[in-house]
Amino acid sequence: MIVVRLGWRNLWRNSRRSLITIAGIAFAFAFLIAMIGLARGLVVQLLRNGTELMVGHIQIHDRDYLPDRDIYETVGNLEGHDWPRLLERLERHPQILAVSPRVFGFGLLSTGEQSAGAQIIGVDPRHEAEVSRLVDANALAKLRPGSLLLGVTLAQELNASEGDEVAAVTQAADGTLGNELFKVAGIVRTGLAYLDRSVAFSRIDDLQLLLALEPSRIHEIAIRIQDPLGAAEVGRQISQMQGLPTGIVVQTWRDLLPQLSEYLELAGGANAFIIGLVVIFAAFGVLNTMMMATFERIREIGMLNSFGMRPALITLTIMLEALFLALLGLAAGFGVGAVMMHYFSVYGLDLTRWTGQLTMVQARVDPVLKAAWNWNAVIGAAISLCVATLIAAYLPARRAVRVDPVEALRAPVLQ
Amino acid sequence: MMCRNMRYPIVTLLLILLGATSAPFGQPSQKEAREIIDKVDRLLRGDSSLGWVEMTVATRQWKRTTELRIWSEGTEKVLVRVEAPKKDQGTATLRVGDNIWNYLPKIDRVIRIPTSMMMASWMGSHFTNDDLVKDSRLIRDYDIKIDFEGTRDRVEVYEFFLTPRPEAPVVWGRIIYQIRKSDLMPISGKFYGEDGQLKRVANFSEYETMDGRLVPTRMRMSPEDKPGEYTEMKYKELDFDVKIPEKVFSLNSLRGS
Repeated sequence: MIVVRLGWRNLWRNSRRSLITIAGIAFAFAFLIAMIGLARGLVVQLLRNGTELMVGHIQIHDRDYLPDRDIYETVGNLEGHDWPRLLERLERHPQILAVSPRVFGFGLLSTGEQSAGAQIIGVDPRHEAEVSRLVDANALAKLRPGSLLLGVTLAQELNASEGDEVAAVTQAADGTLGNELFKVAGIVRTGLAYLDRSVAFSRIDDLQLLLALEPSRIHEIAIRIQDPLGAAEVGRQISQMQGLPTGIVVQTWRDLLPQLSEYLELAGGANAFIIGLVVIFAAFGVLNTMMMATFERIREIGMLNSFGMRPALITLTIMLEALFLALLGLAAGFGVGAVMMHYFSVYGLDLTRWTGQLTMVQARVDPVLKAAWNWNAVIGAAISLCVATLIAAYLPARRAVRVDPVEALRAPVLQ
Repeated sequence: MMCRNMRYPIVTLLLILLGATSAPFGQPSQKEAREIIDKVDRLLRGDSSLGWVEMTVATRQWKRTTELRIWSEGTEKVLVRVEAPKKDQGTATLRVGDNIWNYLPKIDRVIRIPTSMMMASWMGSHFTNDDLVKDSRLIRDYDIKIDFEGTRDRVEVYEFFLTPRPEAPVVWGRIIYQIRKSDLMPISGKFYGEDGQLKRVANFSEYETMDGRLVPTRMRMSPEDKPGEYTEMKYKELDFDVKIPEKVFSLNSLRGS
């Protein structure tokens, strides 16, 4: 215990120098907290915009369905599957918040002289509203049998407005030209220009009829879960469920949005690099302080040595002094960091003055970036700072202890 | 081209005398190559024609045969109407110039095919809407040269090498056309994409005389990327230079009224 008291007292022998070092560590930690928080905020936001728009967090397909979206490659192959039952079972999983069955077709939409190719997505309005926010729930609710929702640019191209009649023609699964008339139930803005230009929504059964697919045949089940970062584990659990249709694959957003996944990994790497850099700078500050502190006490250390105090205890005293420096710095830094985090998570960092409207890695970026706590990274940064401080203190401590006591006692008194 | 022909005045003269239908002597010039291709190109069309075709489309999942009646005039006007099976009866396509309309009897709607859908399948076949528009313009859009002349599979053939002209609005990077030397009947066409990959192969067979003309009555088109799939057109009847009333190539007639 004497060692702890010695360390603590030593800390305040040159209080100004110690305070400056503490301030340095505090500043470094506060900076790291804010940076980690903003980086996490961007991750959360990109993930939310990337997955919640359409993809969801997990998808189930036939293994040959992607990337060509061949209409024959339905879940459960040519026979299809009792998918409503599968949906119920999926919904019972504690991590799964919502599921949405989908059918995809590509065809020609026409109002006579005006025609345009479009991807028609067959959805169940109630389920779809819970998984994606490509189309808002109010518009989806208007999707009555025999109707379509048109992307806004597509509607302009077709010169169609709500209530108009649109003919849909497609290559059906039985080789015939599938053709049906639909009523335009609404015009939707997805926020992504290419979707507004190319996408129309219908009800699953209407699209199945157009494509001559049996009611048991759907192409995709999209799933939203509680923690998107835990999608791999949930995906594994789904794959292990009993009685799944044959030949399916369960993929997470990491497989489905590889660009987003790669970006997040890259950003994680960049973060670690910056954290490392800041920690090293802080460590040099501590090294400097502790070198000064030990060399000016070289006489005293030599004396303790000659009194028979064990070198290990002397080293421990010096390192404890450094640990106090680090802990005080971290505490102060956490206080400042928490205030910054509060500001950034409530008001956010307005990016518009630098970027304007922005799309990044298949996802929309909101103009105001809001920070989010990433406790693992914050704790990791704190531990890194402590360890770096201790290493920085150990080097001068070891040297000081090894100095011959006789030499040490001859050293000039600096204080 | 003129200069080159002038070096072989006798050959040129003979060709003019014999007409382009007879087999030319020696290696044909670029001009003659163009004439041969043009002739092959016009073979199934004439100035105007009226045909009855059985179209069989085979894909991995299904195989269907429909019977089509085809009216054509010049290079710009075609009307195709499905006559059988009953389910598709009345479905029709009209092409005038670069425009294509489809008529769907079930919903009783005429639909114009937009430019963006030109590469989409025509009536569920392996042909695209674009094929319907571009098929008759080989000599306008391509530079043509003889690539090979000799025996292939014990048949004397010419092989023509067609490369698109710089500004030509075409989808092929090159076409290799094989034509029987004895009677200038087409044997096969190989269509390559702009990346040099073989995209589809057309094979002609069952050469028969129809309305006084020797024509290949069976044509099978196989897309390279879908092995085993094909679209086959078999001419059951073909009449040339029929007088077709102008109103046949109208939207009203497309509707079958």
